[in-house]
Amino acid sequence: MSKKRRTIFILVWVLCAAAFLVSSLVIGGASPEESIKETMRDAVLHDTNKISLFGIMDVNPAVISAYTVTFILLIFAVFVRIFAVPKFKTIPGKFQILLEEAVGFFDNLAKGNSPHKNYFLGAYVFVAGAYICIGTLFELLGLQGITTSGRSITLPAPLSDINGAIAMGVTSYLIILSGGILGNGFKGVLSTLKEFSLPISMSFRLFGALLSGLLVTELVYYYVGLSFALPVVVGVMFTALHALIQTYVLTMLTAVFYGEVSEKTPKKEKIKTKKRRKQI
Amino acid sequence: MSLPLNINFQQILLHMFNLCLLFGGLYLLLYKPVKRFMDDRAAKYKSVDDAAKEKLLKAQEAETLAEHRLKDCEIKIEQDMAKSRADAEAEAESIIKDANNTRKQILAAAEDAALREKNRMINDAREEIAELAVKAAEKVIAEKKVKSDD
Repeated sequence: MSKKRRTIFILVWVLCAAAFLVSSLVIGGASPEESIKETMRDAVLHDTNKISLFGIMDVNPAVISAYTVTFILLIFAVFVRIFAVPKFKTIPGKFQILLEEAVGFFDNLAKGNSPHKNYFLGAYVFVAGAYICIGTLFELLGLQGITTSGRSITLPAPLSDINGAIAMGVTSYLIILSGGILGNGFKGVLSTLKEFSLPISMSFRLFGALLSGLLVTELVYYYVGLSFALPVVVGVMFTALHALIQTYVLTMLTAVFYGEVSEKTPKKEKIKTKKRRKQI
Repeated sequence: MSLPLNINFQQILLHMFNLCLLFGGLYLLLYKPVKRFMDDRAAKYKSVDDAAKEKLLKAQEAETLAEHRLKDCEIKIEQDMAKSRADAEAEAESIIKDANNTRKQILAAAEDAALREKNRMINDAREEIAELAVKAAEKVIAEKKVKSDD
């Protein structure tokens, strides 16, 4: 590119950017239909904006997000199964390495934390990890949904809804419970039930972490003046970090508790010890 | 049914249904085939590794056996050499002994032969001298007879 052409390109680029910036500031956004208080309240409670689920019932937008994420993941999985897996080689290519690393990471996480009966756990933490990670990154796409009141809203991350987080936490707890039953039978159930606060803590940890990110993003996006450059940092980086951290935290917790409750407890030799003492 | 924080059991169940669908789909379509491929590859490498280890073990056993055999051979060779050396020495001694005996016999025979030859020569000389003496006497006699006849 010659010097003259480069100068022209930079000039046009700066002019365009300046035109968009000035026009957006002059024109301003549409007058907000809801106050920031209402926006924040809706972000936490999801009680204002509802979306119709195939006309069957009105649900929170996060439910639609959850099904959309599932659809995306399943479509991706179908494509991988049909086009990529049959072409797998002993010496893997880049995409194969990526898939094997993902599967291997969660498989090793399960094996490392739960030496007994870890195949099912490996599959579960893989799916949960994929769901949390992609579900959290999903909000970056900014897909729009139409509410029952006819407004357009950006679909949030599925786990930023308390119901989605509770579902994830309870499902993880049920998986841990199944590990306890498989490993130790009735004792496993008891040891799992001892950790009765686990589903609550898991659910609210997820919800709190994702909600905090959502609230900060909502705050930033609420004001037009903050919508330049800052969203790149706040939106993308916070979301990406949340996705990775929450994926790791929930899968790690599930694997650790699963390993604890499925580990076979050695039989106590109290009676024998007492007998020996008497004999002595 | 609505609870604080807008918790809704119906929606929780909808989320769980979604998770269930996702789990089944991702497990069957992605996790299982990739894991199976990885396990198969690991098993293949393990079998190759095991075979190599087995071959190495066999080679080591063969090497140990060969070393033992070599050691046995060396010991046997040393023993054979010692035995051969002893046999050779014994044989050499017997040969030397035989040679000495032969030498003595030859020497004795030669001495006998020389003595016999000497005696024979002396006898022959005596006979010749006697013959010569007789012939000389006869000649003297004959000359004396001639002289006397004259």
